[in-house]
Amino acid sequence: MELSAYVPIIGLFGLAVGFAVVSLVAARIAGPRRANRAKLEPYECGIEPTPQPVGGGRVPVRFYLTAMMFIIFDIEVVFLIPWAVAFDQLALGGFLAVTLFIVAVTIAYVYEWRRGGLEWD
Amino acid sequence: MLSQAPTLADFGHDTWWVIIIKVLAAFVFGVVMTLLGVWFERRMIGWMQVRPGPNRAGPFGLLQTLADGLKMAFKEDLRPRGSDRLVFLIAPCISAVCALTALAVIPFGPIVSIFGERTPLQVTDVPVAVLVLLAVSALSVYGVVLGGWASGSPYPLLGGLRASAQMISYEVTMGLAVVTVFMLAGSMSTSEIVAAQASNPELSIGGATLAVPGWYVLLLLPTFVIFAISAVGETNRLPFDLPEAESELVAGFMTEYSSLKFALFMLSEYIHMVVASAVITTLFLAGWRAPWPVSVWDGANQGWWPLLWFMGKVVLVMFVFVWLRATLPRLRYDQFMRLGWKVLIPLALGWVLVLGGTRVAQVSDLSRSEQLWLGGAVAAVLLLAVLFWPARRQPSRPSPAEQVAARPPGSFPLPPLDLQVPPSPQARRAVAAKRTAASGRSEAEPAVKRPLEGRAGTDPEGGEQDG
Amino acid sequence: MSVLLAQGVEVTAGEAWTFWLLAPIAVIGALGMVLARNAVHSALWLVLTMLALGVFYVVQSAPFLGLVQVVVYTGAIMMLFLFVLMLVGRDAADSLIETLRGQRAAAVLVGGGLAALLATGTYRWLEGTPAAGLAEANAEHGGNTEGLANLLFSRWVLGFELTGALLIVAALGALMLTHIVREPGERLSQPEQMRARFAPGNYPAPKPGPGVFATSSSNTTPAKLPDGTASPRSISPILPIRELTAAEAADKETER
Repeated sequence: MELSAYVPIIGLFGLAVGFAVVSLVAARIAGPRRANRAKLEPYECGIEPTPQPVGGGRVPVRFYLTAMMFIIFDIEVVFLIPWAVAFDQLALGGFLAVTLFIVAVTIAYVYEWRRGGLEWD
Repeated sequence: MLSQAPTLADFGHDTWWVIIIKVLAAFVFGVVMTLLGVWFERRMIGWMQVRPGPNRAGPFGLLQTLADGLKMAFKEDLRPRGSDRLVFLIAPCISAVCALTALAVIPFGPIVSIFGERTPLQVTDVPVAVLVLLAVSALSVYGVVLGGWASGSPYPLLGGLRASAQMISYEVTMGLAVVTVFMLAGSMSTSEIVAAQASNPELSIGGATLAVPGWYVLLLLPTFVIFAISAVGETNRLPFDLPEAESELVAGFMTEYSSLKFALFMLSEYIHMVVASAVITTLFLAGWRAPWPVSVWDGANQGWWPLLWFMGKVVLVMFVFVWLRATLPRLRYDQFMRLGWKVLIPLALGWVLVLGGTRVAQVSDLSRSEQLWLGGAVAAVLLLAVLFWPARRQPSRPSPAEQVAARPPGSFPLPPLDLQVPPSPQARRAVAAKRTAASGRSEAEPAVKRPLEGRAGTDPEGGEQDG
Repeated sequence: MSVLLAQGVEVTAGEAWTFWLLAPIAVIGALGMVLARNAVHSALWLVLTMLALGVFYVVQSAPFLGLVQVVVYTGAIMMLFLFVLMLVGRDAADSLIETLRGQRAAAVLVGGGLAALLATGTYRWLEGTPAAGLAEANAEHGGNTEGLANLLFSRWVLGFELTGALLIVAALGALMLTHIVREPGERLSQPEQMRARFAPGNYPAPKPGPGVFATSSSNTTPAKLPDGTASPRSISPILPIRELTAAEAADKETER
């Protein structure tokens, strides 16, 4: 049983890829090609595009912090999932272990909160 | 019984042509639901805004989206100068492929017979089906962030970044919310989660036993609320559509896209909405199982009927999505992130602990006093958490009069602050016109004069009319 | 592969096919990651390798691990990489100038040697070891995820809790490296900004828009004041005042 149940997922994935490729090709065939310089410029509401600062578009460092917090919580979720699935087998011991783990992550979370790491302006 | 609820063991035995039929059906479902979903949304919003909405192409305008999609194929496919050739091409493909793949694990119905083959009405189910959904939604972030980056233009870059930060924030909440579903269902397979909601757990209130429906929307109401909110955030729909906030970012990460590439983004957005509705239906509304008044009938959960209940529930959830869009204004970005990180995540974490504690107390054969101890410990932890919660200090606000007095000389002129709403000039003009008609005076003079008096807020008659 | 596993569990045809199909893709992804000039392209090649690895885990009867590989590595960690790369700027392509002479040849030699060493070592180590497969282990507790949970929360519970500690360190590190502590009152709140706007000496009305003239339409062209001078208030402080270059002002062939 194991592996054959995954085959349709791959099948749907392949079909979707095929669909995407076909639509890209179809757009290339069906669409007109009358590009001019104005059309190929980045869209900035009709004005002359603003020259980008050196190094291209830079991103606020805040996004890095968000991604880091996301990793932390994602790993937490990944650990919680097997616990939840096998909840009835693990009973009290599992619950205590998970509580300790959640408390540990919450320490990091509260610290981040108190330092203002979750503020967006 | 001929048809029954499928279990995990029923999957993976289909012959090749059944697999092909089911995969094609899921694909067609996704595309057709997009076509109908766009139409449905536009008609519904039209209805809520007291206007007809699209009603020209086909009966009730049903073919409008198809016409729009075909039109897009004949539009020029542009790639801006500063863009990254390959990434610009694959970003919309990633979005569309991820959205469509998610349909593979949605249960549409019980075991039915297709041309003599008995097979579950679901493309496939695996022990980690819900994890497949989470993985696919994690991957679909790439389409957005790469689309924004590859355009080489400021608006899409900002839109893509915002979108990815938003989607990863709400993915965490979503993941934490489904943990409680797994806890109750004891499985990650979608068909078994649906099956787990078939039983009616008995609730004893003061001696009287009551069989409540096993739908998780009732048993896990907090999870449902958290999950539904984060599903709206994850699908980038109003009130959380900051990645494509028209008034700020033109169209966000899609700004530079045209022709069918844009259509692929559009398609993936609506399939995401359909998938989100289907997942909410599966996890919380018992999937294809018949709702209460119908479920009295024995045949309700057999054969092809459940497909109808499933579609009904999905359309209902989609209607709520549309309703939200028609009702709520867009959040500001910092408000939105605060909602995700500071409200939903603590709520979800706390709810996981509370539910886990309760279940442990139920499952384990603890004595009454031990259960009380455990409950007391949990309550103490919660109390501590509440006590030490980072509280926002409310500064004492000076009254408006004090604020006005504190202004330095030469400040900008202020309107009167006595909170007297001046009467609308129109109403006053009408009253004045009546009076002049009655007394036979010339009408031009008071009509011009009175609004000015009213704005100054000194007219004694203004107060009378207000009262 | 089939020789290696001959004594143990049979490798099914599907598994072998998946391996021979995906293994080259994983290797191509890894090579592409090293060879790509653009940093974001490198990251994308790595994503491809990660996805292939995820499928390998699923094929080897560890579906939970496979999906977690996709969720955590491609979904979260590579997303962090992408953010960091965008932080650096999108034009940050590798320079091809060698700063150390002979570095590339040495790198190829040492890298290839390490790969050969690892491959032969692993082969010698595993030679003759029968493959047990996960079927028995998975069946013990009623599923892969359940079995994993039972191990994780009994034998490896200490490691699990230490992971929690590791996550604290990660959060602290990220915050220390990136967070700029703002003193209370340093960032003006909305009411404070509003008050400052209407304070005497400030001009509260909207700023004049940048110039859109017959010869230019750019938000770096300042608006003209009534006396003909440029208004510095009309352009954003981060943009330099400029006139359009000849190339920008040239005909865009829109009349074709």
